[in-house]
Amino acid sequence: MSLVTMTVAVEGTSNTAVPVGPAVSNRWSRWARPALGLVLPVTLALVWEFVVRMGWATGRLAPPPSVIFATFVDLARTGELQRHTLITLARVAAGFGIGVAVATIIGAAAGYSPLVRRLLDPTIQGLRAIPSIAWVPLFILWLGIFEASKVALIAVGVFFPVYLGLMGAIQSVDRKLVEVGRAFRLTDVEMVRRILLPAVLPAYVISLRSGLGLGWMFVIAAELMGASEGLGYLLIDGQQLGKPAEIIAAIVAFAIVGKATDWLIVLAAAPFLRWEDVVRPE
Amino acid sequence: MLVLDRVGKTYPNGVHALGSISLAVEPGEIVAVIGGSGCGKSTLLRAIGGLDPASEGTVTLDGERITRPHEKIGIVFQEPRLLPWLKVADNVGFGLGDRSKVERAQRVAAALNRVGLTDKATVWPRELSGGQAQRVAIARALVPRPEVLLLDEPFSALDAFTRADLQDHLLDLWTDARPTLLLVTHDVDEAIVLADRVMVMRPRPGRVFDEIEVDLPRPRDRQSAAFDFAKRRILSALDRSLDRSATAAESEPKAATGAAMWW
Repeated sequence: MSLVTMTVAVEGTSNTAVPVGPAVSNRWSRWARPALGLVLPVTLALVWEFVVRMGWATGRLAPPPSVIFATFVDLARTGELQRHTLITLARVAAGFGIGVAVATIIGAAAGYSPLVRRLLDPTIQGLRAIPSIAWVPLFILWLGIFEASKVALIAVGVFFPVYLGLMGAIQSVDRKLVEVGRAFRLTDVEMVRRILLPAVLPAYVISLRSGLGLGWMFVIAAELMGASEGLGYLLIDGQQLGKPAEIIAAIVAFAIVGKATDWLIVLAAAPFLRWEDVVRPE
Repeated sequence: MLVLDRVGKTYPNGVHALGSISLAVEPGEIVAVIGGSGCGKSTLLRAIGGLDPASEGTVTLDGERITRPHEKIGIVFQEPRLLPWLKVADNVGFGLGDRSKVERAQRVAAALNRVGLTDKATVWPRELSGGQAQRVAIARALVPRPEVLLLDEPFSALDAFTRADLQDHLLDLWTDARPTLLLVTHDVDEAIVLADRVMVMRPRPGRVFDEIEVDLPRPRDRQSAAFDFAKRRILSALDRSLDRSATAAESEPKAATGAAMWW
């Protein structure tokens, strides 16, 4: 056997990927494995429900799941829950949009141009050291107590992770791939479009997700500090009127929309990130 | 014709990487540049490719001075450097951005067929083996039909089997349009299998120490006596190049001994 055919044979066998495991085990892993994570919370909820039903505890400050569920359904039926959720969602959307837009422009400029980076980055890093909540009094003085100050706070929260993520991603683009672009004589615009953009996209998506997470954190902070509507208002309302079930219902709503919006980002980015060489869940 | 006229390179930090190299390469000629690490052979290749222009002297291709990447010059790097976000076919067509979609598709398909990877057209680069990825990289460089193809230790990261396979494959591809090949390597066998002419370089600063014609018919039998003879000539030239630099007391003494240690 000649060397060449041997090599071909070796390559041929090493690359024949065989899907491992029958379809049944795939279905199992698809549903049963995530379900494992539910075992602990569901058990705890059932135990608490049982304890309250048996009269061993009143459940007045820590209402059992059935009461929370009833409150949740009640709030949903009157449309209160949707109204508050939509308002909070709108605030997050506005703050996130502004924060991402500004962070993307400045982050891209600072990542691309050393001059811009030297000019802006020290100041931004300095500002980053300030806990964002500390801005609230100033924002209220400047922007009033209504929407503008809340949106500004959320935008500030979103700005930093997106700025840092994008700038870092641009700086760490593989020099060797940039050189491929140069070897093929790409113009600056082509270089950005064909090399830099796709290269920074994975890190950018991650920074958007952490930015969104912070956005949800700051919307609560903003709404706790004074709002007449929104999920944060529901929290305060529940506290002042002594309705713990309402607080927990609002928290659940936060969790649902928070997770849903995060999932939207993942879903929107997925078609552009199929190429990523990552460990995928089996 | 590719002409190097007293090409030298001194980096801004004062490192004198390349002495004064003059070389004329005929169209269709295959030249291998061999030498130990740090002898400036990659620097030389990057100067010819216009990636890191020479600081002294000139590089001209058909009378045109090269100071930045040129469409008639293709480059294959040590790593495949495929763009991970493009399917294999799009990687091959990367240098055809200015052509019509139809022409691009045709030439990419032809190139993939030529390197035997038609069935990999729609997979991601991460799904390729090292040898396949480097074949795609060669296809990508050849698709724009360069007059000169520069190869910077293109097979050094591959195992011995794949390496020999790809050397034969490269020669096979070369017969299509017979571009000038300029190959940097530290593998003596590779130089002899491929090249018409082997330039032996010596370091600090990099310059041509010896030039050896390899006048063997292709395909070259790696087991033949003539092959062995050429190999001995090159190895001894490499040895001598290092001996001299050692007696000139400008390198560590351990670099002075034996063929086994020349790199």
